[in-house]
Amino acid sequence: MKKQIIPGYAVFVLALAISVGSVSFLGPCVHEDGTVGACHWASRALLGLGMLLSVLAMLAVLLRGARLGLYLAMCLSSILGILTPGTLISLCKMSSMHCRAVMQPAMTILFAAAGLAALCGAVICFREKKERA
Amino acid sequence: MKILPLSLKNLARKPGRTAALVLLTAFLALAVFGGSVVILSLRTGLQSLEARLGADIILVPSEAQSKVSFQNMFLQGTTGAFYMDAAVADKALEVPGVEKAAPQTFLASLKADCCSIKIQVIGIDPAKDFTVQPWIARSLTGDMGDMDVVVGCKVEAGIGEIIRIYEQRCKVVAQLEPTGTGLDTAVYCNMHTMDTLLAAAEAKGVSHKIASGDDSVISAVYIKVKDGYDIDTVNTALTGKLRKVTAVRTRSMITGVSDSLAGVSRTVSAMTVVIWILAFIILLLAYTLVVRERTREFAVLRLIGASRGMLGRMALLESALCGLGGGIAGTGLAAIGVFSFSALIESSLGLPYLFPGIGTILLLAAGTVLLSIAVSALASAFAARRLSRVQPGTALREGN
Repeated sequence: MKKQIIPGYAVFVLALAISVGSVSFLGPCVHEDGTVGACHWASRALLGLGMLLSVLAMLAVLLRGARLGLYLAMCLSSILGILTPGTLISLCKMSSMHCRAVMQPAMTILFAAAGLAALCGAVICFREKKERA
Repeated sequence: MKILPLSLKNLARKPGRTAALVLLTAFLALAVFGGSVVILSLRTGLQSLEARLGADIILVPSEAQSKVSFQNMFLQGTTGAFYMDAAVADKALEVPGVEKAAPQTFLASLKADCCSIKIQVIGIDPAKDFTVQPWIARSLTGDMGDMDVVVGCKVEAGIGEIIRIYEQRCKVVAQLEPTGTGLDTAVYCNMHTMDTLLAAAEAKGVSHKIASGDDSVISAVYIKVKDGYDIDTVNTALTGKLRKVTAVRTRSMITGVSDSLAGVSRTVSAMTVVIWILAFIILLLAYTLVVRERTREFAVLRLIGASRGMLGRMALLESALCGLGGGIAGTGLAAIGVFSFSALIESSLGLPYLFPGIGTILLLAAGTVLLSIAVSALASAFAARRLSRVQPGTALREGN
């Protein structure tokens, strides 16, 4: 049972890093004139996805019966997170800009790690469920 | 008794110890692969810069003689615009030893609608150009028409897309291959397009007029020196003949970059060596401690018929397996970091940065994994020797 909740904690920590990072040091480009570009809205979407992941992770730790489904939901949310900057929401068109040089790769890595952790959780839950059956 | 299954079981039975050894080797591999890719990319970038510059001398207006800022335009893609009389290109051709003179005009865009930052627009004369045209020809089969632009690889605009520069609609007709220099962030057009853009810039209050009030301006002239002529002599002749113009030898620019690169290479190499020495010492200590921990285990194996050679091989195989796991993990992590954050590394170093070919990278990765296995096995050689010489009776009596 302990094995089932460890991935939940891992996803929670990663989701917090995503949420905090997407609006701070891993965030979008800062424009001198105060205007916002598409990457600003991408970072807002990432913030939302990070918060969603953290809530799902906490629920996975607390709710024993729904863990498998929650882990699968986290996997799908992570895929959505990977696709958000650049694919679903466009970023600035110069690859040397902060949103492309820092935000996109960092968020891809964090969401991929969260997705892998969630997948591990799902596999553990599935195996233990199968053993019990 | 088969050694491999037994070694794998031994590693699985002590997950903490195995993880620690794998982690240490992974750290080694990460330092070697990451450091090597960065150094190789800097060297490839320098070669690309040399090939890309193509010219022996660059003429710029004296006001732009801040060679550093001119260098930054090439290395970091910072925008800059300075102008001189367009007749300078023709006058330069009159200097003995000058084979070709290709004018270029620079224009720093306003906040382009594509990027929210300024981009460098470079006007070239396709008939005279010998520096950018060969690169453009690789990506563009036809001619570059009026209001057509060719973008550097870092400008994320697809072919056929329209980008607006000073409210002028320019069609992207090709994208250049990466060079690892600041030129990757530039936009190229022909001189007619540049004239239109300069007029549009003028209307927006961005003046390009020179002191004489002449409208026909250029920013730089790229000079190719004839074979058999001394470049320094031609350089001096150009400076003497052309007023208010500075002649910059491209070699001096490249030498400056090369010196910076050597400094970075030395630092990265020194750090890698220090990490290797430290990690090797830690691995050596870890395996020495393992000897104490596993003496009884190996004594039992001796009692049930395992030969000394077999025990030695088993200890070496276990460490090699840890090396393999750590090597793959470390190389993978380094690859994720180095390739994902290449733009950040490039801008932090401020030097030409271009990844070597995929073949070189794969060879480097394979070499790093092999090196990790070798170092791991070497660090455990002493432990393997001690363990293979265990006296079963003594070891079991002493209860070690």
